[in-house]
Amino acid sequence: MTQTTSKPQMRRSAIRWPGLAAFVVICALLAAFTWLLLDTILKWTFESSVGTLNGAEVNIESVEHSWSPLGVRITGVQVTDPTQPEQNRLVVGEITAQLNLEQLLLGRLHFDNVVSSDIRTFQPRQSPGEVYTAPTKEDAKAWAEQGLASLNLTMPNVDEIVSRLELKTPAAITQAKTTIENSKQELESIKANLPTRETLAEYEAQIKALSESKIETPQQLQQKREEFAALKEKFEADKAQVNAIKESTNETLAELKQAFEQVKAAPAADLERAQQLMQLNSEGLNEITAVLFGEQMRKWSEYMLLAYEQLAPMLARSADEKLVKPPRGEGIWFEFSQSQEPPSFLIKKAKTEFAWGETVLDVDWTNITYQHEQLGQPTTFVARASNSALWQLLNLNGELALTAAGIDAKQQWQVQGIKLDNLKLSEQSEFAATLLASLLDSEGSVTLQDSVFDGGGTVRLSDMKVEAKAENKWAAVIANALQQLSRLDINADVAGQLTQPTFSFSSDLDRQLGSALKSAALDASKTELAGLQTKLQEQSNGFLGDNQDALSAFEGLLSDAEQRDKKLQELLKAKFEGAIEDKLKDKLKGILGGN
Amino acid sequence: MLTLLAKFFKALNSESGAWALAFAFVLGMVMGFTPLWRVHNLVILLIALLFRINLTGFILSFAVCSAVAYLLDPWFHQFGFYLLSHESWQPLWQSLYQSAFWRVMQFHHTITLGSLVLSIAFAPILLGLSFYVITQYRRRIQTWFNKLKIVQMLKANRFWAIYSDLRG
Repeated sequence: MTQTTSKPQMRRSAIRWPGLAAFVVICALLAAFTWLLLDTILKWTFESSVGTLNGAEVNIESVEHSWSPLGVRITGVQVTDPTQPEQNRLVVGEITAQLNLEQLLLGRLHFDNVVSSDIRTFQPRQSPGEVYTAPTKEDAKAWAEQGLASLNLTMPNVDEIVSRLELKTPAAITQAKTTIENSKQELESIKANLPTRETLAEYEAQIKALSESKIETPQQLQQKREEFAALKEKFEADKAQVNAIKESTNETLAELKQAFEQVKAAPAADLERAQQLMQLNSEGLNEITAVLFGEQMRKWSEYMLLAYEQLAPMLARSADEKLVKPPRGEGIWFEFSQSQEPPSFLIKKAKTEFAWGETVLDVDWTNITYQHEQLGQPTTFVARASNSALWQLLNLNGELALTAAGIDAKQQWQVQGIKLDNLKLSEQSEFAATLLASLLDSEGSVTLQDSVFDGGGTVRLSDMKVEAKAENKWAAVIANALQQLSRLDINADVAGQLTQPTFSFSSDLDRQLGSALKSAALDASKTELAGLQTKLQEQSNGFLGDNQDALSAFEGLLSDAEQRDKKLQELLKAKFEGAIEDKLKDKLKGILGGN
Repeated sequence: MLTLLAKFFKALNSESGAWALAFAFVLGMVMGFTPLWRVHNLVILLIALLFRINLTGFILSFAVCSAVAYLLDPWFHQFGFYLLSHESWQPLWQSLYQSAFWRVMQFHHTITLGSLVLSIAFAPILLGLSFYVITQYRRRIQTWFNKLKIVQMLKANRFWAIYSDLRG
């Protein structure tokens, strides 16, 4: 018989201590893994977080950390421009930053000093960067890129101009013809009323007969006197008739002369009006400064507004969780800081070195944060440089702060003696213009209130040398005018929202080019205008030649009327009564005894 | 390598009670749904290793839930965003934000908070459901399951042989 004894099964502990050892080992491995790959993790983190704020891909070449002092060194940063993914809005050669350990332990990122060097803007990328958020100002530059096409330059057609002109010459001829027709009828009636030469000769004969007739008795004298009075009355009536005819003839003659003068002057007037209308039909001529210099000016503006256009939107995005649409699976972090707390993110001092070729511009920043209300101070930036290879003097200073209403900022700048060199103004096939050399001075100020721009400045270009080539006649006029420019003052204004600023440019160039284009149009239409002039002159001369007789007829009639008026005047002045009375007295003396 | 792995499971997976498996699924689910690099996951890992939890179930649950989490992330984000931006919750979040401990927990991250709250809310359901399924499986389905060709094939695998040897 076998007896089996069973060992009572012991209840095992709920805790397995080897598991604790495994946990320690796993934690150690994680720590070691993190330690070894910290730089890579930081690189991914920076690329991801800055990329989210930027709205487009950010690439970093390398990240190195140091424990004492706690800091990082980042090299080769490329920040894609969301509006132009084939370009970097910023390229930074190197960034070094020291982190405040005390604040870090409290969960805040406070950088004591950040130095960024070899910063370049608007650099081409090797391959287009990924865009996380759709650009909101994609069409901001479209107007500038339309170029000369937007000017809508069209050559006026002479026939079209003539049809629009309502020529005065034919109208004047028609009017003159009507006047002549009316005057001819009047001439006939006037002629009929004018005392004839025969009538005047008869009057003369009658006076002579009266004065030579024998008067022997007072009755005969009385009879002769009555005959003379009747004759005189007739003269006066005829004279009045002649005067009326003279007056009427003068009026008609004046009308005729005026009509003839109008016909004579009409061709010249028509030609002048044709020349006035013979200018370029250009609706956008007053935007020529914007078309030619707009794109370049916009680039300069972007440099000037770099702090706003680059930094402010990123700060604004980081301040507002709702603005940041996280990539899938990343989520977003909320801020619950109170107003009296130090900001969660702060760069106390930063120095950025912007590079243009060999020239370096240092910009000193203070208090870079997106929590200005907590900090109680705005972000400030100052750039000052003189006697560099690119400019003689540059002063730029400003400040910006994020408020509940948006972004408040102000900025002033003054630059002198920027040497421009081989600057492409237009590279279109029909019109290419290059600013070979020029000196640029600029000054101005811009304010940003609740994220809305207001302000502007002046850009003075002096010692300009422009090379311009054009394919068509009208572009050639612009090219020629540009090549003659030695100085140009451009007024630039900025307005609109921070994310979509609008720039407007104006200068004397608009007027100068408008005048040059008009002259060119006249020059080009010289042949057609000469033809028009000949045609009108022929019409005018033909009319005047054909109708000169009508004018001469009235002039002859007036001359006749004046002669007859003169004759009548002479007849009226004749002392017929005195002569007759003397004759009668002599006769009576002889009868009465000789005294 | 396979031997080492099998030894590891042998040492840690000596208990395979229904509750141990159910808790393993729950812990794996929380760790799988929430973002991996969070402090609370270290706590979950410590619990899974220190207590007699079935690690195979834990790892399996973690792997499956991590894959599913990719699809659920938008909802976790929205729920977390809703909680963090809700007016009546602001005093709580502000007070937690003052604490370095809670900052380290990254409660103020939308997906972290959303996924943690939802997975904790789902945990009791999964726990009960898992326990029920496991007990029913063992009672009724295990025998039938072991006869399946695919299971036979898997049992012919070298890893299974090592594992079985170790089980003794």
